[in-house]
This record gives sequence, C-alpha cells and structure tokens, in this order.
Amino acid sequence: MKSKTTNSFEKNIEKLEKISNLLESEDIGLEEAIQYYEEGIELSQTCLKTLNEAELKVTELKKKLEETDSKIK
Amino acid sequence: MQNTTEVLSVSDITNLIKLTLEENFEQVSILGEISNFKNHVSGHWYFTLKDGGAQISCTMWKGLNNYVFFTPQDGMKIIVTGRITVYPPRGNYQFDVRSMKPAGEGELQAAFERLKRKLDEEGLFDEQYKKEIPSLPKKIGIATAIAGAALKDMISVAKRRFPMLELVIAPCQVQGEGAAKEIANSIKELNKHDDIDVIIVGRGGGSMEDLWSFNEEIVARAIFASKIPIISAVGHEIDFTISDFVADLRAPTPSAAMEIATPDINDYVAVINNFLDSATDSIEYIIDNSRQRVFNAIGSYGFKNSKNLIDIRKQYLDNIIYKMLNGMDKKISGTKQKISLLASSIENHNVNRTLRRGFALVKQDGKFVHNAKNYDYNKETSIKFYDNEILIEKK
Repeated sequence: MKSKTTNSFEKNIEKLEKISNLLESEDIGLEEAIQYYEEGIELSQTCLKTLNEAELKVTELKKKLEETDSKIK
Repeated sequence: MQNTTEVLSVSDITNLIKLTLEENFEQVSILGEISNFKNHVSGHWYFTLKDGGAQISCTMWKGLNNYVFFTPQDGMKIIVTGRITVYPPRGNYQFDVRSMKPAGEGELQAAFERLKRKLDEEGLFDEQYKKEIPSLPKKIGIATAIAGAALKDMISVAKRRFPMLELVIAPCQVQGEGAAKEIANSIKELNKHDDIDVIIVGRGGGSMEDLWSFNEEIVARAIFASKIPIISAVGHEIDFTISDFVADLRAPTPSAAMEIATPDINDYVAVINNFLDSATDSIEYIIDNSRQRVFNAIGSYGFKNSKNLIDIRKQYLDNIIYKMLNGMDKKISGTKQKISLLASSIENHNVNRTLRRGFALVKQDGKFVHNAKNYDYNKETSIKFYDNEILIEKK
C-alpha cells in the first residue's frame, strides 16, 4: 500500500510538471487551460497532503540466517 | 628410556612421543605465514604454517575459528596460539590452533590489498556493473546492527529528509566472529524483496579490526551479486573497505548514505509551491489574454460598424419592399378596375341582347327574382325591358 502511495506521488509530481509546461506554452486554449489548471491545483493539494501526513515506517526482517547456515552444513 | 636394549612397539614409541610433545608444548605461540588454507565444509580450518626453513600442519576447529574476526588468506603472517597434538594412527603431529591474530596491522593491510587486487582483476569493481541509485525511493533496505548508532542515525536522517519511506532492516553483526557471513546473508535476504529500491550496508566508526568484516570476500561477493543497488557506508570518511569498492556507491558515513539515498521533502514542497505560483500566473495570463482578445474584437471597426451596416441594409430593404408593394397595389387596383369594367360591359352586352328578343327581368327589393316561387305579390316590383324599366306599385 505504502509503495503505491509513493508511486502515485511520483506520477502526480510528473503530471504537475507537465501541466506547468502546458500552461506556459503559447498555443493552449482557454477552456483547456482552465481544465488543466483545476487538475493541477487538485494534484498539488493531494501531493502536499501526502507530504504533510507522511510518517516513516520501519520494519525489521526476521532473522532466519542461522537456520539457513546450519542447513548448508 | 635410556635402556638401549629395550624393544618398544610402534604404538609404545608413538605414545611416548605423543606424551612428550603434548606435555611440553601445551601452550605455545607460533609466528608464521599461512599456506594451503582450506575452509572445509565441516567448518574446520586446515592450513600449513611456514617460514623460510620449516613448516607445520595446523587445524582450527569450527567452534574456535568462529572467534577469529578475519578470514585467513594464503600469504598472511599470523600468530597462532595452541598446542601440539600427535595422531598415532598416522604417526604425525600437528598444531591445534586455539586462537589466531594477524602478525601486525600491516598484515591486515596486506590482506586487504591482496583481496582488493584479486577482486579488481575479476572485474568486481568495474564501472559497467555499477547500478544507478534511484532518486525517489519508496523502500530502503538496511543491513547493519540493530542496536548500532549507525541505524539510529540513518532513521533520524530518513525521518527528517523523506518520511514517505519504508525502511526494511535486515539485522546483522557488523564486527567480530561470523559478522561477515551475517552481513552477506542480510544482503541476500533483502534481495528477496523486489520492492526495495536501494540497500545501505554499513556501520559506524571503529578500528581496522572492527571494520574488518567489510573487507571480507564473502561480503564483497554478496554485494556484487545484489540485484538491488547498494550504498556502502562503513566507518568514517577516512575508512575505505572492500565493500566500498564493490558497492554501486560509497558513502563516507551511514548518515551520509541515507542523505544520498533520500530526496529532501522540502524540495518537493518547493516544487509544488512553485507550481501553484507559476500555474496561477499562467492561467491569469491566459484569461487576461482571452479577455483582451474579446475586447479587441468588440472594439474593432468591423464590429462597431456592423450595426450601422445592418441599419443601412434594413432601410434599403424597406425601401424596396415599399416600392414593390406600392407598385403592386397600383397594378392590382388598375387591373381590377379594368376587369370590372370589362365584366360589366360583357354582362350588359349579353343581357341586352336577350332582352331585345322580348325577355324581361323582374326585380323585387333591387334583386332579380329568378323563379316564381320567390315572387312576392305584396311587394313592389320592377320589370326591366330592353328599352326601359317599369315599376309596378304594390297592391
């Protein structure tokens, strides 16, 4: 689940950059521009929310090392 | 023993030798160079210790060699402590090693250089095998001691820089007996998780002996075999280990490794804020621009004039319609008149001709009476002959 969140975060950031470029390009129509703008605002809110609410997760792998060792011998 | 006539069996003499040797060399230390080192699958070590003039067979049992912090290499000068044992069935003696240490710091350094050269020749340090460290990781694997300061440092760096992470820790000893094997196993264990983006292998500072596990071949091989990119972070800035050379990236310290592995969350906040600013500017510009275009269009000569143009045309059209209607009216009324004139003359002509032949028209109340049934005897009647009309008074 966590990885999916980060994944979509990455995609959202990429999309923001794309929208930013589109809005700066000369030949975008008004309606299209407004649509992109609204989408961008929504995306940026989502991203900020993700960033603000992020909490480091720490997991520890179980130690199966000794068993693996003794099986080899 | 001094009795030369006494005859001894092979076993007797061997046992005498065994007793003599084992009693007199119960606790000795020997300095020598390792050759023919064999790490048997049983876990026991077999090697020969030699110098310029002699050699002696050595064994070190599994339970004891666990306590050796380094893996012996051929050519390494070591000091071993132990005892001489005799094995009667073969009639040979060997040195039973209880502990082992390098003959000096220089020996470790030399071992380091030997392994480094060997692995370098094999291509383990080649640039072509270096994997790229991902810029936006979601899971970072860590192979280090669970209680170490290095782990605490790395966690705090991750928390500060990029808390959207998950850290997966594969705990291992990072110094002393068996540490190298544990580190290698942790790397293998982390590689079973294919959603891990990068692995940090390391520990905090210490002596060359403390850091030695990271100079072991088994660790180097595990790092090389890792499918996941690895950052090696052992000791301080000044410490270089074999791990550093094999790893995809060397970091001066564990904290620095975490800094390298994580993006700064503030950079993303800045990216987003920057977007909000620039996108708002852009959209305002686009809207202003569109508004201006509308105004420009409204203000243009063509647009302003268009009402005028329409009015002129309307008037023109009205004019034409008026003319048309007028003309039509005149024409129609003229024609009507002609027709009625014509009709009455035609009618007159016909009636008169009939009347001349002796017929007459009967009228009552100014209307012709067409049949007898409609004739009213009580009404005034006029009879029209061809030459005149006479009036018959009512009775």
